[in-house]
Amino acid sequence: MKKIYIGLLLIVASGLANANDNVQAKSWLERLATSLQSLNFSTSFVVVKNNQAEPYHWYHGVDEKGVEFEILALLNGPRKDILRKGSVISYIEPERAPYSVVGKQISGPIPSVFSQDITILEKSYDFVSVGKSRILGRPAQIIRLVAKDAQRYGYWLWLDQDTGLLLKTALITRQGHLLEQIQFTYLDITDSLSPTLAHLAQAELPKVIELPESNQVANFAWQVNWLPLGFERVKTDRHRISLTKQAVEFMLFSDGLVDVSVYVSPSAIAQRKSEFVKDGATIVLNQVVNNKEISVVGKIPSTTAKAIADSISFRGSNR
Amino acid sequence: MSESKFETVSLLVDNYQQSDEAFEALLEDEQLSDTWDRYHLIGDVIRGEVSNNLSFDLSDKIANAIADEPTVLAPVVSETRQNTVKAKVVKLFKPVGQMAIAASAAGLMILGVQQNVAQNDIVVPNQVVQTIPLGVADPVSLNFQQQPDKNAQRQAYFEQQRRFQALLSDHQHQIKLKPSVEKTSPVTKTEANKTPK
Repeated sequence: MKKIYIGLLLIVASGLANANDNVQAKSWLERLATSLQSLNFSTSFVVVKNNQAEPYHWYHGVDEKGVEFEILALLNGPRKDILRKGSVISYIEPERAPYSVVGKQISGPIPSVFSQDITILEKSYDFVSVGKSRILGRPAQIIRLVAKDAQRYGYWLWLDQDTGLLLKTALITRQGHLLEQIQFTYLDITDSLSPTLAHLAQAELPKVIELPESNQVANFAWQVNWLPLGFERVKTDRHRISLTKQAVEFMLFSDGLVDVSVYVSPSAIAQRKSEFVKDGATIVLNQVVNNKEISVVGKIPSTTAKAIADSISFRGSNR
Repeated sequence: MSESKFETVSLLVDNYQQSDEAFEALLEDEQLSDTWDRYHLIGDVIRGEVSNNLSFDLSDKIANAIADEPTVLAPVVSETRQNTVKAKVVKLFKPVGQMAIAASAAGLMILGVQQNVAQNDIVVPNQVVQTIPLGVADPVSLNFQQQPDKNAQRQAYFEQQRRFQALLSDHQHQIKLKPSVEKTSPVTKTEANKTPK
């Protein structure tokens, strides 16, 4: 019954001026997801942030049995490749030995939700169809993901009119400052699996690592009391940060599009002022309060990161 | 007066019945019969009935125009001199501009090389990230490197850079280990193949 009421409300709402745009925008995003899953494409793009450009090449294809293959390779500097064969994803990085995980989507510069069901984003974002443009020599449709609250950045997507694939994305602050953008520079769609991916089908991927059960939250003496609307905890564990060997208690939150990590560890220092660095749109915030070191990392504005860090309360202490 | 004459022509072209006097006047007046020609030509062009080798007889008009033009016996000297001066100025300044561009390009290359070196070094943290402390007046910045006497501060700076770099890299690693989203019902093919208007 409740659902019918909500449905009625939606119908009424669709009579409003830009509601039609929103429906259109959603169907564009659904088309993007299907295209990313079903098309055989070979494409190049450049990630522009911090006045630097990182070029990538990205192959995707589906074989006769419906198994998806994917390669995402960073072209500059040390090798960083992501390989995917069905539901096994392998990461080849300079810092670590190659490893594989089981998953549905690769985790690269392009938010993985774009190839998934985007309805999970409706809680926190409005989809708006903005207009048309020309990108990569093709007619493009512009779609905006507008955060419903002021605590997040917005996404702009330029989608190919013919295939629905991505041609450009941009991460933009509410004030309109461009933080990061991805510009596609080449796009080729083929009927069958590309030779590179056919080669991947023969290759053997690194061993899948077992992910420990991540339900240790009850053991933690702290909790995060505030997060922007729509953020949910997706991971909780204790681990060591590989670069510094520091042991941390860790929680990962996500609103479907943006991931936010929260780290807590004991510190020898009593207090340290809040400091942060920015890598494109990603903020790394670090502070020490009452011998507890708290860090927040994610593609969120600094005020949001500070608010999350300040909302952490410790059990058994009067803070 | 001439306005009304042209109006008459226009009406005739459009097949509006006019008096015989009007026709007579049109045939007698050279200007008017020219206009009559032109109006018909415009009509033909609009209707696309013009043949490809449409020839406007310009040659005699040009010949007439040349004949009418006064002959210049001596070229004006001052003007040409001005031109050469201008050219010299351009020549003088162009290489300087080009050199400036070359120099800045070289500068960029040097910057690029330094950055690459920094990135490959494991001990020195990546300098891409810039530190902006919250609510502190003077930011922790690369300037500390240029003050060798402030060793402790430098140490603290490196420590801080390393901490941030470690956190950033761990964050990116953890995202990869994140269990895949439960709601992975892919959109049905038929639904998404529809092209949104």
